[in-house]
Amino acid sequence: MKKYLVKRLLQIIPVLFIISFVVFVLVYMAGDPVALMLPEDASESDREAMRAALGLTDPFYIQYFRFVGDLIQGNFGTSFRYNQAALPLVLERLPATFELAAASMVVATLMAIPLGIYSARKQNSLVDLFITGGSVLGKAMPNFWLGILLILLFAVNIQFFPVSGRGTIVHMILPAITLGTGIAAEMTRLIRSNMLEILNQDYIRTARSKGVSSNILVYKHAFRNSLIPVVTIMGLQVSHLVSGALITESVFSWPGIGLLLVQAVNGRDMAVVQAAVFVIALLVIIVNLITDLIYRLLDPRINYS
Amino acid sequence: MTDNLLEVENLHTHFFTENGVIPSVNGVTFSIKKGEIIGIVGESGCGKSVTSLSILQLINKPGKIVEGEIRFHDKDLTTLSEKEIRKIRGNKISMIFQEPLTSLNPVFTIGHQISEAIRLHQKVDKKEAKQRSITLLSKVGMANPERQYHAFPHLLSGGMRQRVMIAMALSCNPELLIADEPTTALDVTIQKQILKLMKNLSSELNTSIILITHDLGVIAEMVDRVVVMYGGEIVEENDVYSLFENPKHPYTKGLLNSTPKIHQLKEKLQSIEGNVPTPDQLPSGCNFQNRCPFAMEKCREISPDLVASSDGSSVRCWLHQEKEVVNV
Repeated sequence: MKKYLVKRLLQIIPVLFIISFVVFVLVYMAGDPVALMLPEDASESDREAMRAALGLTDPFYIQYFRFVGDLIQGNFGTSFRYNQAALPLVLERLPATFELAAASMVVATLMAIPLGIYSARKQNSLVDLFITGGSVLGKAMPNFWLGILLILLFAVNIQFFPVSGRGTIVHMILPAITLGTGIAAEMTRLIRSNMLEILNQDYIRTARSKGVSSNILVYKHAFRNSLIPVVTIMGLQVSHLVSGALITESVFSWPGIGLLLVQAVNGRDMAVVQAAVFVIALLVIIVNLITDLIYRLLDPRINYS
Repeated sequence: MTDNLLEVENLHTHFFTENGVIPSVNGVTFSIKKGEIIGIVGESGCGKSVTSLSILQLINKPGKIVEGEIRFHDKDLTTLSEKEIRKIRGNKISMIFQEPLTSLNPVFTIGHQISEAIRLHQKVDKKEAKQRSITLLSKVGMANPERQYHAFPHLLSGGMRQRVMIAMALSCNPELLIADEPTTALDVTIQKQILKLMKNLSSELNTSIILITHDLGVIAEMVDRVVVMYGGEIVEENDVYSLFENPKHPYTKGLLNSTPKIHQLKEKLQSIEGNVPTPDQLPSGCNFQNRCPFAMEKCREISPDLVASSDGSSVRCWLHQEKEVVNV
């Protein structure tokens, strides 16, 4: 187990190198930052001098190595907009994003588990049809549309929730529903189909033949088995959560890493873009690792030694 | 009151699929006494498993018992509520299934699964249930039962898992054990051990057994009485010696002829022509007529009844009903 963990942690290093390269190339191709940094009436020689001072006249690979060297020291450069180091700027936005992500996951799980199980137990009933149809709808609705609609309904028309911002738990409800709905839809469908498959397994018949009641059958014998693929999906959904956070945070002005990234891209604040993309990539890697570790807790057949 | 532990009478179990009704079991009647071991034989698809699942009301949708009674201690199991039948499942009547590899839940330890059966039906605490489970595990011949108690199913071989299934099935001293092809998935040496174990435990605890199999060797070794099924019906019933000595129904004869015998090694092994018809494609008249070497005109038109004769056997065949009539 320990050996496995060390191996997995070491595997992160090459992945991070690839990410650093991609991030660097994207920014390299994005255009001349000097044009944005100097006033419009700056002379061409001033621009040249600025480029030389920033090392932008060096060949591509030298610039890349310098970037990686800085990166290893945790230095992503300085934000033009905030005039601060980019990495701390990104990191201080993390709690807000975590909070939203966790709340969305809670919303998604609370919706998906009962709906998925109920739908499977009442297969082909009217309720099942309704839930399955609803999950297709939930998956199909774009985040920004759902977000705006929720604001319109519950913050403008019924003025029950605040329109935007972060603060109390009330602020969190609409963004969490916006971000959680798509994930809930995906999870509901998955839990339903897993449950249906597992309820036909031989060991469920064995448990029934022992005299186990149908509730215990579903919630104990079948549910734990059906969780294994669900955890996979939850792990994969984290990347959706990040891309969803970009949109949802923008819609609700939620001061997280997503909003920061969108603003940084718009303002060509490349140091912040690099730092944010890098941190998000690292998060996704860590979540995948945690997902793999959770499998072991759920399924004794999986052994990492 | 009768001295029969279980009486199945005129059982009809049908499956209502999108392609129509499939009559898997059609009027099956048999009974079993306390401590008796009976065998149900037949090829795949003849309704053996459906019969056994019907007894414990374990038929899933779209299947349904449409007619008949299953009396256990003179109480009709088909009329019980889900709650009442749960008290009988695993307690008074328990089951062992064909596939030991998939019949245990992969995410719980075997000990947990046996203890669960005990705690469902007996008022004992966790510790006591564990103690009893360990005793059961050693009873079914598991080496090192204290350690194996904590083993997950995937760590055990098929034979070991079937022993666990037997331990689980016997955990509440059931009066009736239904074993649905308990040794089919196991190799021959393990088969022998498992059968011996079942037979010993049954005589020790005075448990009746319904043994479902297609293996006549197993039947010969284990049971007192044999029920032969074909096409969802019983075609012959007799005590095991008479059946092997003097099979009456052409299907039983065919089954016996297609079993290899050690002194006939050089002869060509006989087989029954054709395949078992699926329950929705049974021929007119006698179910077996299209595969029967003795089929007559009458067999193709009218289905014979199961007729009991004075020696305690019964057979569903025109050949024998004619004879009985002549003899009388």
